[in-house]
Amino acid sequence: MRFLSILIAALWLALSTAVSPAAAAVADEDLKRLVDALGVGGFSEAEAAINALVATGDDRVSAILDRFGEGDLYTRKADKSVFIAEKAGSDFKLLDPVTGAEAGVVSKGEIEKIKVNNRIRRAIAAAVGSLTLRSPDAAIRRSAAEAVMKSKDAAAIPALDAAIEAETDPAIKQIMVAARAAAVLESDLPEADKIAAVEMIGGLGTRDAMSMLAAYTAVEGPVGEAAASAARTIESSLLVWDAAQNVWYGLSLGSVLLLAAIGLAITFGVMGVINMAHGEMVMIGAYTTFAVQEIIRTSAPGLFDYSLLIALPLAFIVAGGIGILIERSVIRWLYGRPLETLLATWGVSLVLQQTVRSIFGAQNKEVGNPSWMSGSFTIGELSITWSRLWIIVFAMVVFAGLLAVLKRTYFGLQTRAVTQNRQMASAMGIRTPWVDAFTFGLGSGIAGIAGVALSQIDNVSPNLGQGYIIDSFMVVVFGGVGNLWGTFVGAMTLGVANKFLEPYAGAVLGKILLLVFIILFIQKRPRGLFALKGRAIEA
Amino acid sequence: MLIAATPSQTAKRSSLVAKGLFGALALSMLSGTALAQEETIKVGVLHSLSGTMAISETTLKDTILYLIDEQNKKGGVLGKKLEAVVVDPASDWPLFAEKARELVEKEKVSVVFGCWTSVSRKSVLPVFKELNSILFYPVQYEGEESERNVFYTGAAPNQQAIPAVDYLAAEEGVERWVLAGTDYVYPRTTNKILEAYLKAKGVAAEDIMINYTPFGHSDWQSIVADIKKFGSAGKKTAVVSTINGDANVPFYKELGNQGIKAEDIPVVAFSVGEEELAGLDTGPLVGHLAAWNYFQSVDAPVNASFIEGWKAYTKNDKRVTNDPMEAHYIGFNMWVKAVEAAGTTDTDPVIDSLIGVSVPNLSGGYSAMMPNHHITKPVLIGEIQGDGQFEIVSQTPGLVVGDEWSDFLDGSKDLISDWRKPMNCGNFNVVTGKCGG
Amino acid sequence: MITGFLLNGFDTRARVVFALLIAIAILVPAANLLLPPDHPLHVPTYMVTLMGKYFAYAMLALSVDLVWGYCGILSLGHGAFFALGGYAMGMYLMRQIGTRGVYADPILPDFMVFLNWKELPWFWYGFDQFWFAALMIVLVPGTLAFVFGWFAFRSRVTGVYLSIITQALTYALLLAFFRNDMGFGGNNGLTDFKDILGYNIQADGTRATLFALTVLAVAIAFALASAVTRSKLGKVLVGVRDAESRTRFLGYRVENYKLFVWTLSAVMAGIAGALYVPQIGIINPSEFDPANSIEAVIWVAVGGRGTLVGAIVGAITVNFGKTWFTGALPELWLFALGGLFIFVTLFLPKGIVGTVQAWWAGKRASAPAATLKPEPAE
Repeated sequence: MRFLSILIAALWLALSTAVSPAAAAVADEDLKRLVDALGVGGFSEAEAAINALVATGDDRVSAILDRFGEGDLYTRKADKSVFIAEKAGSDFKLLDPVTGAEAGVVSKGEIEKIKVNNRIRRAIAAAVGSLTLRSPDAAIRRSAAEAVMKSKDAAAIPALDAAIEAETDPAIKQIMVAARAAAVLESDLPEADKIAAVEMIGGLGTRDAMSMLAAYTAVEGPVGEAAASAARTIESSLLVWDAAQNVWYGLSLGSVLLLAAIGLAITFGVMGVINMAHGEMVMIGAYTTFAVQEIIRTSAPGLFDYSLLIALPLAFIVAGGIGILIERSVIRWLYGRPLETLLATWGVSLVLQQTVRSIFGAQNKEVGNPSWMSGSFTIGELSITWSRLWIIVFAMVVFAGLLAVLKRTYFGLQTRAVTQNRQMASAMGIRTPWVDAFTFGLGSGIAGIAGVALSQIDNVSPNLGQGYIIDSFMVVVFGGVGNLWGTFVGAMTLGVANKFLEPYAGAVLGKILLLVFIILFIQKRPRGLFALKGRAIEA
Repeated sequence: MLIAATPSQTAKRSSLVAKGLFGALALSMLSGTALAQEETIKVGVLHSLSGTMAISETTLKDTILYLIDEQNKKGGVLGKKLEAVVVDPASDWPLFAEKARELVEKEKVSVVFGCWTSVSRKSVLPVFKELNSILFYPVQYEGEESERNVFYTGAAPNQQAIPAVDYLAAEEGVERWVLAGTDYVYPRTTNKILEAYLKAKGVAAEDIMINYTPFGHSDWQSIVADIKKFGSAGKKTAVVSTINGDANVPFYKELGNQGIKAEDIPVVAFSVGEEELAGLDTGPLVGHLAAWNYFQSVDAPVNASFIEGWKAYTKNDKRVTNDPMEAHYIGFNMWVKAVEAAGTTDTDPVIDSLIGVSVPNLSGGYSAMMPNHHITKPVLIGEIQGDGQFEIVSQTPGLVVGDEWSDFLDGSKDLISDWRKPMNCGNFNVVTGKCGG
Repeated sequence: MITGFLLNGFDTRARVVFALLIAIAILVPAANLLLPPDHPLHVPTYMVTLMGKYFAYAMLALSVDLVWGYCGILSLGHGAFFALGGYAMGMYLMRQIGTRGVYADPILPDFMVFLNWKELPWFWYGFDQFWFAALMIVLVPGTLAFVFGWFAFRSRVTGVYLSIITQALTYALLLAFFRNDMGFGGNNGLTDFKDILGYNIQADGTRATLFALTVLAVAIAFALASAVTRSKLGKVLVGVRDAESRTRFLGYRVENYKLFVWTLSAVMAGIAGALYVPQIGIINPSEFDPANSIEAVIWVAVGGRGTLVGAIVGAITVNFGKTWFTGALPELWLFALGGLFIFVTLFLPKGIVGTVQAWWAGKRASAPAATLKPEPAE
């Protein structure tokens, strides 16, 4: 009954406002009554109440709905009146949603949150969208137009018409026109209008356009035919983009593989240590990131966007330091017995995993994405996520930097000398033990900063390293042990090949095929892609 | 033992006993039965503390230790204190069988709480049958099993998957379904059941996309893009995810990054709870769903006091609770009640008296052990919130009885299970009228 | 002739080890079956099964030592052959369940019934016969090893490259067997076995017999491996291990020698897997996990590479340690195990047996010098 009376009130209000759209203001108590209706019944009733609120056209509605979407609206149990509740200590401070006036402080038990689900959020977005189409803020207008486009609401056509008329920004205007076309297809307008709308949407050529048209391809008559042919045109142009997208995915996977493997390319490839603890160095880097973020969260939240930049040097130092420690205490006794390094580093990896588990617990840890690594953007129909883009850039920088260190610095010269001929290097006055330690430290440190990057896309748990160790060995061996360029090309080849196999063979079979390919490839080139030549490697 | 020991001390002491015992065994191959018996009731805890499953299972070990601690404060069971025997099966399935045997045959525990993955349960099953002991299994699973020695306190597919799909179809108007899962038995079976269910409800074959990925899959770019593509066919689309633990974090990160919002393509998961979300920034995931029988956010006094006690016990204010923990809570209390009713911890009387036992669950109602060794539970659907918790958006009006043999699978639709006399059978075929398929 | 070949390979130590193994194979089951449970020397069934598992692992370790210790092939994928043998046995045991499965399907195993398989895949045919399964236990790992080795050794893939592609092999098989579409039960693997050759698999007598058979198999494998390594062929193998190019320059077809010992070793691993499965009661793809294969290598290293006895000692020591630590120190056992590996590499580079041997040899060498007593030549 109550619900019905509200609806009638809303209708009356809508009618009265339709007469004079300029005077969209509604009396406070009338609006409050409509807001109170949000708290009555289930999601369907709430959705109807939202529509009733929108129908008033009151300026305050969009702000109220925004708070509703954020889950700030509560019902006071005593009188079923709806308020905005803000946490004040253990209690809640109530604010009148219409006037903003304070309405006292209550305990948690006295109020009940009005539940919001996806359906309500969608309704709110569409409602707020249609209300804010003519907002002075361009960003709000843009998101409003996008929301209306998604809602495909025929009732929004007049509002859209008015908004298109007034719009000055051509990009936003374009979205509004598309939104209008989408709404037209849902409306009762004549067929000619609908065909024009189909053509308009077809002209966009995007995946979204395709998705809008797809719903009408099965419709009988000229509209359906037009939609089907427009969809076909878009589909063929999307094929090219799909291939490009696959290459991008491949490069991004390749960069992840490169990052994971590149530290190993030094400890295993250059030094010959079968370093089973490599994955744990990556994990330590990821945990360093977690620790840095944890400190920033509690003491300097403003720095959160810089957390990764702060974590990078720290991860390098921590992982590198542990690497040097391992080299000095264990590995230095094992040079010349490469296979035994497998045994010792396996032991080290077990110990490191359990240490991390004891300190941080076995559960996953949350490492957040800074704002500049969240979300995505599109180039044409290519969807590029920021996190992947930065990881690719980062992998390239690390690779170039490492190459420069090994080829251009004195330390790199010493490293190469020691790995090529230990006795001779020693005879030339190079302190081989220290070069060994620092080279191992360098490899471990690089693994550590790889961990910083991987923490952005993967679990941060004590098992993090285990997931990468096999792939890393595959990459290094496929590329050719002892050759950094080999690791680079190997990682990229495997990444791209994987992503081209995946759509046809599925994720599991694709990976199996890749492994078989590696096995066969090694038969053809028993020393990897970029084989080192000379007598030294025979030993 | 007069003084109530803390669980860790108890566990340590038991491990010392184990050490001594095993040493003696190893040296002289003596059996250790002659050792002095203390006046305690031993409870086995068989959860992985290392390896891939440690992420999920460590918490369950802590849960049982907490529950034992609480019970001992109340004076134990049958006037005796409970004593936990903790072992680490290390996510290694044959080791699960070995450790189960060690717990039952050597440590002589009265009951075992343990396992997470189906394969670990399958691995220990023959041991519990042979040695006639009791296992409480707390995790949602694929069903298709009912054993005399096992009590399933997690959800069967009808207590999770089907209500979730119903909710999405009714509330969100979903017409197109992506069934994405890790390639193992639980997702395979659940998806088989869901596929049959959806088709029975009139969903066309081309509106269902099934995708399987390997364990620990970490590169979700292509699959998320495929989902996006599948979702752009003009019909409301949802993803039903049976993706297993570890792979979820990269999956959700990719969803967030590729901008798939819950308002566009909601994802409902059956293996993602508060523990899994603790490793994620849930900001971009608000509105994605999960279906469980319990959420930490359940508004009930019994839940509030459980959470408070749990945080105090672990001395960590950030520890969350989740559905398998509630399953252990229910299972443990059922066992205590059944032992007290039977007046003994012997296996056979306890198994008999467990059926029909009803104890409070954490969502404010009661859960009862049914004759098929599954329990009754409410089904809750929750949406992920920005703080890593779930907001309950739907709850079944009554309790749902766990259905061990799915009606939607050809092989099992004629089977029922009833462990009461006179039937006493886990796979009674109602067509042939015979026990055994 | 074969006995002659085998006996020829026996030195005193090998004879002692062989006799010891036979004694274990007889005495332990006897102590389990014949003595009453309260007798001080009674061995509980729990211990019998546990030790059966250790000995199955010991046989796997023997096969690894044969290729690694004597031929220099570091296989990081021997677990694959072990698991394939295990699957062949598992498929036989699965078919033996018959109508006692939960769905009572006479042909299809349970996991196929509830995943809606309509008929038995072709590769399951024949496994209802034990002789066929036994043949497959030998043939499947053997053939795979032969084909793999044929290509790898001809292409002269050596060192870490070989190690990594063996790892790729087992990893690929791991992923493949995880797939439910493969028809091997996916992650749950094969389990819930009832009978083996008509005997109840859970009966004490069956368990004791399986244990005895396993130890016997280890003894035979040990004898065979000793014989091979002490034969002329074995000397060539050691030559290959120490200087492959030189051996080749001397005119030996290195790849044929490698291929022979590689295939032999894979067959041994397969048999070990087949003996392992009925005692453990489950076979699942995680046996293909590269980490398991690495562990097998570690057992050999702990026991002493290139000693054969060391492989047995190492496998039993490490696994016993694992059993003990996971029960006694559930939270800390990885520290203990990891520490053990580091300790062994640093302080016992020759492994347990190698170190004892060196110590024994040193004592024997120094003893005459100290006492100046004439020793008869051996």
